[in-house]
Amino acid sequence: MSTDTSPTILSDEIHDKDFLSTIEDSLAIGSWDLDVTSNTLKWSSFTKKIHEVAADYTPEVSQAIFFYKEGSHREKITLLFQAALEIGQQFDDEFIIVTAKGNEKWVRAIGHPKWENNICTGIRGIFQDITEKTLETKKTVIKEKQFRSLFDYSLTGMALLSLEGHWLKVNHGICKLLGYSEQEFLNTHFKEHTHLDDQKKGQKELKLMLSDQLDNYQIEKRYLHKNGSSVHCILSLTIVRDSDRKPKHFIANINDISEIKKGKNKITDLLTVSSKQNERLLNFAHIVSHNLRSHGGNLDMLLKLKKEEYPEVITNEYFPLIEQAVENLNETIQNLNDVAIYNSLDNNKLEPLNILQYTNNALSTINGVIIANQVDLDITVDKNITIKAIPAYLDSIIINLLTNAIKYKRPGVNPKIEIEALQTESHVMYSITDNGLGIDLEKHSTKLFGMYNVFHKHKEARGLGLFIVKNQIEALGGTVEVESTVGEGTKFIIYFNYE
Amino acid sequence: MNNSLDLICIIDDDPIYTFAVRKLLKINNFSDNQLVFKNGKEALDGLITMQNKKDNLPDVILLDINMPIMDGWEFLEAFKISNFNKDIPIFITSSSVDNLDIRKATTNTLVNGYISKPLNNQSLQEIKRKCL
Repeated sequence: MSTDTSPTILSDEIHDKDFLSTIEDSLAIGSWDLDVTSNTLKWSSFTKKIHEVAADYTPEVSQAIFFYKEGSHREKITLLFQAALEIGQQFDDEFIIVTAKGNEKWVRAIGHPKWENNICTGIRGIFQDITEKTLETKKTVIKEKQFRSLFDYSLTGMALLSLEGHWLKVNHGICKLLGYSEQEFLNTHFKEHTHLDDQKKGQKELKLMLSDQLDNYQIEKRYLHKNGSSVHCILSLTIVRDSDRKPKHFIANINDISEIKKGKNKITDLLTVSSKQNERLLNFAHIVSHNLRSHGGNLDMLLKLKKEEYPEVITNEYFPLIEQAVENLNETIQNLNDVAIYNSLDNNKLEPLNILQYTNNALSTINGVIIANQVDLDITVDKNITIKAIPAYLDSIIINLLTNAIKYKRPGVNPKIEIEALQTESHVMYSITDNGLGIDLEKHSTKLFGMYNVFHKHKEARGLGLFIVKNQIEALGGTVEVESTVGEGTKFIIYFNYE
Repeated sequence: MNNSLDLICIIDDDPIYTFAVRKLLKINNFSDNQLVFKNGKEALDGLITMQNKKDNLPDVILLDINMPIMDGWEFLEAFKISNFNKDIPIFITSSSVDNLDIRKATTNTLVNGYISKPLNNQSLQEIKRKCL
């Protein structure tokens, strides 16, 4: 505690030291007193607190200056002290000091020179810790700066609008977007730049915002460019309120989405093209399924009738050949039909089917072939696994793969077929493995599931089974893979979606 | 309903098909008399004329779907409201394997069955079984 008896700067009438120190504490203000004549410096207890020195600390005049941060702060206080001493100039400024504990603090120092007989006999002053306030202010300044650079340099359009809808401030983005200069924008109403058909868009939201029921909303609307063209934008509008929630202004963020719109239109166009193509395919399927069948059927009928009415035609050498040709034609039409139907069926009728049950059904359907070929069966399928499928497809898939496995057996080796089902996290893996001829995948893998590809010389091979199987599996949302070694066997693996 | 199918009405725009069906009917001793119309409109007009003249109406109609002027479905609609005084069984005969066509045919109350082309002796037996 200071023991000086000279008048303080607060008031000459106040001599009550306790009272003074109470004031200092409650205002967080310290005082100091430099006596030039005796070259002594006194700090009040609060000033010591700010400097983070002990209560019994006695500041040295020559050392006190070193509390000020080296550089501009120390230089500034030095100059101010000189001016006070030499010409009696008062000072009041802000500095950074480094406390005894090494902490940086923002302080306000006020100095009043004492002047007697044209000589400065001392300086008295006030010392205040303004760290908190200063940092807050600095933060605000940074935020302000951030907002300003965001506003100024943002590629998207940003603007401040009055509560009535007038542009108060626009950034470069908006000027570029709509073709007007900032000057042309100012104090005009946003409606002047809004497409006529979109004038009423967002009215309701504006009211909700002004009545404190909404803070922000996004809307797609068209603006008008200076050149008259319309610009598709997404507007995000935010209302800014003061601490009493009283609306101050709006911040608008406007993004040009014309390019996105163009892209969308392109996709729509492509969709139209492909759905037209799809339509043509369906027409093709229809022609195949109806017209070709009619003609083929007629030929078939005529030939049978002729044969019945004039049995002697068989002796004509052309007749059996024509008969064979017609039979082949009708078989081709039948095949085309199968394919056309699978491509045009509605796929949205999947139901949960028990895979073991369907496996057993398929096996009993081809039981004759199984017995005739002495097939050794090994079935590892859990009775609880269900998959999503269409009954007719699942029947066809299993029967096709099983008959293939038997049809393409190795001569002299009894067919052995393993059927497995495994439920994984995402799918049901269903596999049919045989010990038959095998397929040379290196040569045929790209054509394996194609139409009319026959890999083995077999009297019943018509090159359609795997094509249909693949189509059906894919129609069910599944996939099929094949592993094979010539002379060892083939494994077909199907991934079904499960229920 | 009669006990035999004497007069068979064929409505189809394909002359080869109608020729073949008539042959088939004859060879199988199914019927000797056939009425042939090239489309639904011709058939409807012909049948109405027959009814007005009090001629015998056919015992069964074999109806194609795809025909010019008035197709099979339109014929069925018109037939329904024409008040013929005889209950004539109608069979759709088509080479369409489109499930939609088949379902549409079998759910129509006027239709007795869907016979897939080409017709053969078996189809004739099925028609006979369903009519008699």
